[in-house]
Amino acid sequence: MSLLEIIEASFAYEKTGNNVFQEMSTSIEPGEICCFMGPNGCGKTTLLDCILGVHKLRKGRILFNGKDISSFRPGEIARHIAYVPQSHERTFPYRVIDIVKMGRAAYTGRFSSPSAQDKAIAQQALELVGLSHLKHRPYTQLSGGEGQLVMIARALAQKTPVIVMDEPTAHLDFKHEMVVLETIVRLVKNSGITVIMATHFPNHAFYFENNELNIRVALMHNKKILALGSPSDVIREENMKLIYNVNTKMVSCPLDNESELRQLIPVGTII
Amino acid sequence: MDTTRKKIIYTVLIIFPLLFMFASLFVGRYPLSLSAVTEVLWTRFSMGTTDLPDMYQTIVWDIRLPRAILGAMVGGCLAISGAAFQGLFRNPLVSSGILGVSSGAGFGAALAIILFSASTSAIYLSAFAFGTVAVFLSYMIGKVYNATPTITLVLGGVIVSSVFSALISFAKYVADPYEQLPTIVFWLMGSLTSARYQDIMVAGIPMAIGVLGLIGIRWRINVLSMGNKEAHALGINLKIDKGIVIICATLATAGAVCVSGVIGWVGLVIPHIARMIVGNDNKVLIPASFSIGACFLILVDDLGRIITGSEMPLGILTALVGGPFFVWLLKKTKGGGW
Repeated sequence: MSLLEIIEASFAYEKTGNNVFQEMSTSIEPGEICCFMGPNGCGKTTLLDCILGVHKLRKGRILFNGKDISSFRPGEIARHIAYVPQSHERTFPYRVIDIVKMGRAAYTGRFSSPSAQDKAIAQQALELVGLSHLKHRPYTQLSGGEGQLVMIARALAQKTPVIVMDEPTAHLDFKHEMVVLETIVRLVKNSGITVIMATHFPNHAFYFENNELNIRVALMHNKKILALGSPSDVIREENMKLIYNVNTKMVSCPLDNESELRQLIPVGTII
Repeated sequence: MDTTRKKIIYTVLIIFPLLFMFASLFVGRYPLSLSAVTEVLWTRFSMGTTDLPDMYQTIVWDIRLPRAILGAMVGGCLAISGAAFQGLFRNPLVSSGILGVSSGAGFGAALAIILFSASTSAIYLSAFAFGTVAVFLSYMIGKVYNATPTITLVLGGVIVSSVFSALISFAKYVADPYEQLPTIVFWLMGSLTSARYQDIMVAGIPMAIGVLGLIGIRWRINVLSMGNKEAHALGINLKIDKGIVIICATLATAGAVCVSGVIGWVGLVIPHIARMIVGNDNKVLIPASFSIGACFLILVDDLGRIITGSEMPLGILTALVGGPFFVWLLKKTKGGGW
């Protein structure tokens, strides 16, 4: 049985409005990275929201381990699926460790606060992303990349088999984009976490493939999934032309360990 | 290390308001010695007898002590609800009156003063009722979608506040200018003068429920301050938890405002003073706000008694005393991470 199954899912924000996506079906297996890829406004984020139970589908079902997501209570979803936001708006200067501890909310009673065990789990999560030296710093003083790693640590503290990431590298600089991607690779390889990710960078998918992760890409086009498969099979010049209106060239060069490094280079937009 | 520090913080938070309350028993136009005050307290607590003059007992037990208790409760309630609302609305500029409770209560009091010629219990009741109605209206206005997004809730509060402010002006306009108008104006400036045990018992019920609720749910306010979507993904039932915070903060504020009148400043700035001292984690911030708010209002009330022979309204002094203190603290702590 698949870990997560999306069956004929349709969604619209208003009752009479147009569907954001419709009759979409796919399934996600344990231990893989599933990238939903498509241009801005294609419904990636909305789909992730539906998986998280923020929105309810208009039609269709989303099953987690065979159980309908819409029958989960909020605390229950949070014990199965964690979330890393695209950009987190920082308001109050909480300490980094306090932010990560919030990942334990689903395991903490309404009128209590995290236990010593929860604190240890938060500490561990922070070590996994390599930021334990910053734990007492106000998180408002962190750089964008460090902030995103803190968000990943908070998701790890939820101890869920699945983490949903909404464009986790948006707004990051050249290096920190890499740091976040490397962290994701490490987590999937070492902790066996399943990652569902929205992205619009084809090369992120290639990066995961080059690192020999179990990755599938779902290209979203016209409110549906246009193609589903490994990056090399799906991210093709003609598909990019179709969904982004961009002419691209695929390049590949051999790496020392006999594998191949693939990248997609944008050439120009099509008017 | 961390746990001993916590113990110290919590001990200080409990002891300081008690110290301030005790100190305020000495402040006033009639000077009392330490032995006289302690003797009165001792005889009252041990149900014994004393040969001190009755007047001493009246001053300490019937005038200054209820006033100190009420001051602590009102200051604490305003500050704690301010801190809770700031977290809930993810906005440090929000105060305890953001959902219209103060202006609603103000109108309620003005209405009672005009209709029932200043019967105290009518004023309390009316102020409390209109204060809670104002919050309810803000909530209903904010509920344009099913999810009560934060911004529409704040907007609802602003609209309701301005409507009730207009109604207060109207009440002033039609009030009798020799009897009722001064009463309304003084009520709106806030005072603890009328403090009696009876008031404390009645208004204390909503205040206690509100404060205990907020202290109970305080860690969840951290999670709520992450925003709706993240709080949901972290496993929070938004409707219930937001509802608890709003109801508790409203009970606390309405309970405070209905006995003391409108006291500004405390519900906005005391939480910030607490942030600078103990940090932003609501687990400590919420009780610290209560404690500091309690100390602050007792202090301001004492100053009002010392500076002028007659009673200076509290609403004037809170900002005059608190403003410079805030600036000093801002320099000293460098804002505590802001």
